[in-house]
Amino acid sequence: MNKDMRMMREINIQAIAFYEAAVKLGDHAAFAFRDLNRSKKNSHRSQMTGLENIAESTFKVADILDYIKKQIARFDYWRKGYPRNADPNEGFGEALKKYLENDMKEKCDTICRRLEIKDSTDDDKYKRQQVYLQLIRQFIRQMVVEYEYRISKEENGNGTNTGASA
Amino acid sequence: MAMALTPAQVRKLNVLSDTVLYPDAVGLINKLVLEEEADPLPSTQIVGLLSISWANTYGEFYKFVVHQRDRDWSAAKSDIKKFYTDLERYLTALVRRVRGEFQLIPQGLDVKSTRQMTDDIMALLVQDLVQHLAAENNRLAVEVSRRRKNYARR
Repeated sequence: MNKDMRMMREINIQAIAFYEAAVKLGDHAAFAFRDLNRSKKNSHRSQMTGLENIAESTFKVADILDYIKKQIARFDYWRKGYPRNADPNEGFGEALKKYLENDMKEKCDTICRRLEIKDSTDDDKYKRQQVYLQLIRQFIRQMVVEYEYRISKEENGNGTNTGASA
Repeated sequence: MAMALTPAQVRKLNVLSDTVLYPDAVGLINKLVLEEEADPLPSTQIVGLLSISWANTYGEFYKFVVHQRDRDWSAAKSDIKKFYTDLERYLTALVRRVRGEFQLIPQGLDVKSTRQMTDDIMALLVQDLVQHLAAENNRLAVEVSRRRKNYARR
């Protein structure tokens, strides 16, 4: 297997591992943005579309993190907590930022260790960045899918995400 | 006139934005706001910095920073001076790193070309740096405002 295929394989393995976290954050987003849905039809979609677009198009992880921070600063719904979380007061944006900066960074380090990508040469540093970016893109895709699923369930009257524990 | 950067240099700048500029920008703002309990920068300063980082050369950006540092700020705005003092120090060190540690300037260029390339690279780095500073500052500004409101309610 060539190196690129090995990298994609490792990323897909991690994607299975972080699926639960992506679902949790997708549910948090749906809870945080649901009031938007009622007042401005489809405006909630632009929140996730913006995040997806930046994740898919940027060459830098920092651009994604800066976007999240900007949204936290601008919109109170990005700061909305989720009763199901261990810390129910932690806003959606902060939870997402924390996950990408900490947990996702660890997964990136794990993959780089397995692929023997060190941190000394320019080439190594670039490969690390690509691994990190690909992981974040996968995560955001999964999170947005869960978010859309949750929102559509509510719109179709098939369940309300009150945030109460199951 | 700006010198063209090679794909390898552009790639390196993108990596530096993630691995150096972003953590340094977060560190700079966190040190001021969280450790030294300074006020976050007001939005007028952030807008000004963003605008100058995109529209001007590095030399002009640096002059702006020095000018802001040296202004006679009132006591109520002394935190702004603190920020620009730290920023100027950081920029001066960054120029040295561009020429040394980061190995962004090819060997064998004449003095004029080296200076021009350093300025062009610094202009690009500063755009990213200011973006990171603005994002962290604005995030913390909301947090600080929330804490103050909660404190006032007690």
